[in-house]
Amino acid sequence: MPEPIIRVDSVTKTFGGLHAVDRVSFQIDPGEIVGLIGPNGAGKTTLFNVISGYYAPSQGNVYFKGEDISGQPPYKLAIKGIGRTFQVVKPFPGMSVLDNVVIASLSLHPKRRRAEEHAGEVMKFTGLADRAHVLAGSLTLAGRKRLEITKAMALEPNLVLLDEVVAGLNPTETDQTIELIQKIRAQGKTILIVEHIMRVIMNLSDRVVVLNFGSKIAEGKPKDVANDPSVIEAYLGEEAQEA
Amino acid sequence: MLLLLPQALVDGIMIGGVFITIAIGFSLAFGVMHIIDLAVGEWIMLGAFLGLYLNQWTNIEPFIFLPVVFVVFGLIGYYVQPVIFRVVSGKKGNPLLMGLVFTFGLALIFKGAGLTIFGFYSHSIPSVFSKGSFSIELGNFFLTIPVIRFMGLSYAIIITIMLQYLLKKTDFGLAARALAQNREASGLMGINPKKTSSYVYAIYVGISAMTGVLIGCIFTLSAQMGFKYTVFSFFVVVLAGMGYMSGVPWAAFLLGLVQSIFLIYFNPGYTLLALFVILYGVLLISPKGLFGRGW
Amino acid sequence: MMRHRNILWFIGIFVGLLVVPLIYSDPFFIRIITEAFMWIGLAITWDVIGGYAGRVNFGHGVFFGIGAYVTAILMTKGGWLFTLTLPMAGLGAGLVALVVGFPTLRLMGAYFAIAMWSLALAFQQLALLLNITGGPDGMRMPAFLNPAFFFYIMLCTVAASFALLWYLMERAPFGLKVGSIREDESGAMALGLNPTKIKIQAFVLSAVPAGMIGGIYAYWISYINPASVLGDIITDQAIVMAVFGGLGTLIGPAIGALIVFAFKTLFWAYLSSYQVLYLIILGAVIAATVVFLPNGIWGTYLTYRKSKPLGSVIYKSVEGDNEHA
Repeated sequence: MPEPIIRVDSVTKTFGGLHAVDRVSFQIDPGEIVGLIGPNGAGKTTLFNVISGYYAPSQGNVYFKGEDISGQPPYKLAIKGIGRTFQVVKPFPGMSVLDNVVIASLSLHPKRRRAEEHAGEVMKFTGLADRAHVLAGSLTLAGRKRLEITKAMALEPNLVLLDEVVAGLNPTETDQTIELIQKIRAQGKTILIVEHIMRVIMNLSDRVVVLNFGSKIAEGKPKDVANDPSVIEAYLGEEAQEA
Repeated sequence: MLLLLPQALVDGIMIGGVFITIAIGFSLAFGVMHIIDLAVGEWIMLGAFLGLYLNQWTNIEPFIFLPVVFVVFGLIGYYVQPVIFRVVSGKKGNPLLMGLVFTFGLALIFKGAGLTIFGFYSHSIPSVFSKGSFSIELGNFFLTIPVIRFMGLSYAIIITIMLQYLLKKTDFGLAARALAQNREASGLMGINPKKTSSYVYAIYVGISAMTGVLIGCIFTLSAQMGFKYTVFSFFVVVLAGMGYMSGVPWAAFLLGLVQSIFLIYFNPGYTLLALFVILYGVLLISPKGLFGRGW
Repeated sequence: MMRHRNILWFIGIFVGLLVVPLIYSDPFFIRIITEAFMWIGLAITWDVIGGYAGRVNFGHGVFFGIGAYVTAILMTKGGWLFTLTLPMAGLGAGLVALVVGFPTLRLMGAYFAIAMWSLALAFQQLALLLNITGGPDGMRMPAFLNPAFFFYIMLCTVAASFALLWYLMERAPFGLKVGSIREDESGAMALGLNPTKIKIQAFVLSAVPAGMIGGIYAYWISYINPASVLGDIITDQAIVMAVFGGLGTLIGPAIGALIVFAFKTLFWAYLSSYQVLYLIILGAVIAATVVFLPNGIWGTYLTYRKSKPLGSVIYKSVEGDNEHA
């Protein structure tokens, strides 16, 4: 049995009295695409932040490739192989697209020349190569989301955390992004994806984990989860976004 | 030595009172506009000089034209504010820091103008309250309170109450508080951020200038005084917590206390050093102020 | 290709400056140029933390002052040779930056600015009170009147600093990393960068040359006191020069330094009775720059030339990237 890439073990994250994440456990095996869904406020982004090091778990542990990474800062995890995007994209607006990606490439290739070459390759892979010298701040939303993914990929991560990468995109852009995600999976990367647009996440994921009010309420294949009564109830009152 | 402690306390309270008014306006401006005005001390200096000249020309008691000074500088502040607003709302550079740099430029302009026009001399504004003091006997302790300082404290209390009333009981105050909490939502609710900010800044400048007159009566004034009062303002506002107005009186009294204790017990030359160390220390340990409620 | 052209420019200017004292030996003139170098050094070092790292530092002058006092104390009380005190001056400033940087740099931008401001003032107060610094009377150095000597040592120190900063901030990955911390610190963390480490490195980098320049100043002017080397005026002018010239570049602050300094010199030469007017103009320059030309002279020129939309602090990407993608 291959070691799971990531194992979330009874992780709890509290803010004051609020349990944003409450004893959540699951694991992801190498090469899987796992979707993380749940109504707004269910704790998905908080869980992302715990896994990527922005928060330390109040209780519980996170294991990455067998190593306990709970509480380690994001920059250490980035180097270890966890790449992530942000729901509200974080480009470096005053820098060119190329420089944006180079920052990530530098973690693997400390010399600037080689880092730029590497960044160029990654940008070719994600389709941003033609915009290398554009100021990141002037990209469209789709461009920025694409850049966000590119930067994460330039870390050559084992685990890619995608946080709402198609939110706000039109159908064409959404399809292009889905294509990219499949390309990423084809490279052997493991992906944990948060998304509100059901058709996207249900079609992409091998498995789905459902959170509600911080707790895991269901886990399994997309079809099974979609028919799970507790999941349906959690979404009642939520306008499930059908694209 | 301990016999002097109550006097030190009382002195501290008296001095602190004046600092409250400076800091409360500053804190308000920060809360609503997120602007840290490095020129605060210079506004005080300019107001003090207006008070000085008005008194010299008309021989009228300075306390009477406090409102005049308020209005004059309120108008000035009202028209300066849009420029600041433009800087702080811009997408160029880091708006907050650019605002800081801009007010830094203003401070330089005012300081230079002050030195050019008013020269390097110190003055004092005479007032009917300048002479005389209360004496209170409390058991073994004998306290002296100069009338003018007592007037300063009263002034501070009155201004604070008026400001509280303005903020809590008027529509304008509601708008200002809303703006301080959430700029975007306020805009959506029909609050005009530019106009409200203009009024807030006008009030802050007016109060600061007015307090300058008071300082000119209680202490002295000179074209170089601005820097010192900028330090005091920062001290109080940082300790209170930026934008947290309820913390201002405590921080102001603490400032007054530190000053008077150093005056009585230690070498006053160490006062500024102590203030800087405390300011720096607070920023390190609890940047949101002693009460943790600052921005 | 462009890289080589830049190096040639630099070497050319440097060599040209080397021969200046041989041609114009008027000591007054030499002193003016020396001071110009000094301000270039102060402006570019401020820009490392103020422009590149995006942390406005209202206490930068403290490093200059520390360097000045280190040299003064070592020479007068310890009998050190001047040139040996310079590395110590830089080291002293650097150490302070290192120690102070840890707690202060994690503060938000505005708080950092105020904290550094109050720290610088605390140091000034300290210098006024301590015996070893001579208190308000300051310190007098052994006189050494040799304008050419100081010309060369200031030129070499500033040129070396410029070259080092150019390499680190514009060529090496470090500058890119610093810029990313400025643009989005938490985003940079997700890409493997440790913001605290990088900010402190930038901070120390801004402090060391400033300290050395301060050390040179002490021996050059032969007399220092808390007002002249630890006062706000050093920081204030450096900030105006850097902002006016263009944040986030090296050439910007250098140009800003030259222009502002030239203006100041002419001003004092012809309008010395209106010295305080200088403050007004300084303030007006920086206020106007922030409102109308936020990227400074050089920054605006760069934008215009490359026809890029005005973004945040203009960050020069590496030359020669035309050869890629």
